[in-house]
Amino acid sequence: MDNILVLAKYTFKEALSRKIFLTFFAVSSLVLFVFLYMAVTIENSAIFEFFRANDNATGISERIAEAVQGGITFYLFAGGLFLSIFSVSSFIPNMLEKGMIDVLLSKPVSRAQIIIGKFLGGTVIVYANIIYVVVGFWLIVGLKLDTWNFYFLLTSFAITFTFMVLYAMIILTGILTKSSILAMIISYLIFFILSPLLAAKDNIIGLFESSTLEVILNFFYYIVPQTAELAQITNYISTGTFEFDTLPIFVSFLFMILNLAAAIFIFNKKDY
Amino acid sequence: MKAVEVFELTKIYTTGFGKQTVRALNNFSIEVEDETIYGLLGPNGAGKTTLVKILLGITNLSTGSAKILGQNVSDYTIRKETGYLPENHRFPPYLSAEEVLKFVAESNGINPKSINSKIDELLEMVNMTKWKKAKVKTYSKGMMQRLGLAQSLINDPKLVFLDEPTDGVDPIGRKEIRDILARLKAEGKTIFINSHLLSEVELISDKVAILNKGNLIKEGSVDELTTSKEIYKLSFDGNVLESDIIDISSKYHLESQSENIFTAKLENSEQLNELIDALRKKKILIKSLLPQKNTLEDMFISLINESDKEVKNG
Repeated sequence: MDNILVLAKYTFKEALSRKIFLTFFAVSSLVLFVFLYMAVTIENSAIFEFFRANDNATGISERIAEAVQGGITFYLFAGGLFLSIFSVSSFIPNMLEKGMIDVLLSKPVSRAQIIIGKFLGGTVIVYANIIYVVVGFWLIVGLKLDTWNFYFLLTSFAITFTFMVLYAMIILTGILTKSSILAMIISYLIFFILSPLLAAKDNIIGLFESSTLEVILNFFYYIVPQTAELAQITNYISTGTFEFDTLPIFVSFLFMILNLAAAIFIFNKKDY
Repeated sequence: MKAVEVFELTKIYTTGFGKQTVRALNNFSIEVEDETIYGLLGPNGAGKTTLVKILLGITNLSTGSAKILGQNVSDYTIRKETGYLPENHRFPPYLSAEEVLKFVAESNGINPKSINSKIDELLEMVNMTKWKKAKVKTYSKGMMQRLGLAQSLINDPKLVFLDEPTDGVDPIGRKEIRDILARLKAEGKTIFINSHLLSEVELISDKVAILNKGNLIKEGSVDELTTSKEIYKLSFDGNVLESDIIDISSKYHLESQSENIFTAKLENSEQLNELIDALRKKKILIKSLLPQKNTLEDMFISLINESDKEVKNG
């Protein structure tokens, strides 16, 4: 366990030293600052007008806060994960550079511990940034509308979980190819194209009426992490709705475990 | 307990989806005694680095067995007792010497309380104290080598593997590294060195192995390897002409090197005694008789050439 923590700590340190953490923090702060500026300059009456709401109606502030936070969750999910994937994709290829990996592997650390340490380190970096932004938005919305939706804070876990699923695949791609670019491309492909496409599989099948296509889409639906559904679940969580299909969580979790296990297995077999 | 035990070790690398294979080590066996300096010599591509990487679990072996300090090399915990300076090693450029050593110390599970004093001690030993806080990216090759040596010793290892330890280091630095190695040996550590620099290995090693194309072609102490048993150098008292000993010289392959100095090529020690008797019979006074010594480099080149010829001739 100590070895894993040491490796996680130095992954965090790597992110700090290579200004990854700082860039992440700067972008997040900029977004929060812009939002804060808007909150300060826009009158509440203008917000009610925008939402076509009567400011005397009961619970209207809560409903507006939910709507605003729902919108934030959408952008935070997409933007946060885009940045996170970009930030961590070089960790494994950097570690595998000739001369660097020799030093690391000659220490009393197992290869499984190295992978888990890197995974934990990357996750902590991303979680630290996500929670910073989520708490920032929560405070701004809360102060502005005088309503405190604690469920919104839980979205930090849901976004980080989605990141962990994709990060496991980034690690596996890194071990296999030593390429950070390829790891990024595959992640973005799944996140922005494949998963949304598979989420709409029933519509696509209905459109083409092909049984082969149905088999193919169903096959991929159950092996590719369901990030589009996870985005929707994150949105539900932000409003305190917990009645949703848990299959996407299960499939994505399984995908994460399998990717990590494959990364450890292949890393163990490789010669450096 | 032996520091290193390698038995019939073979390493085959496959490339091009298994279509091509390279035999980096071929049925290789060696043993390294505790508290000695063992030099592994060989031309580029001989398999030296592969062997060290297998011993440290960086590369997996194909067949055979390998143990260090009595434990199988696949057990990563044994690496608490080893240190390694890889050839062309790199450290994260954003870390300083102090941070690199701290990371290596923590990876080795060293007590946090003793880390700082250990770092200072090692940086002083390799003459890097004033660079303690400087980032690795500003270091020269020689400084990297010194830091590499320091990190290999942070856990006070029983067995240290050094791959080209003096690579890129100036002559003064080389002497300092040799002194450090001598000190480590005196402290009871076993040192395993891979090097191209034969003269350096000759100066410090107790035992040497020569590797070519994955095969062990010779092993022994530096003295054993550099002493040519059949050739002796004789010097005589007084003037001795070649014509005086013409009958002896043909039998014992005596050749004049300079005035009163001859070399003799003999089959065995019996023949050596026969030669002495024959010379004394002729009333020739022997001043000295010494077995001829080659440098390790002479011997290395001749062995590698012979081995290459054997391979060519099948």
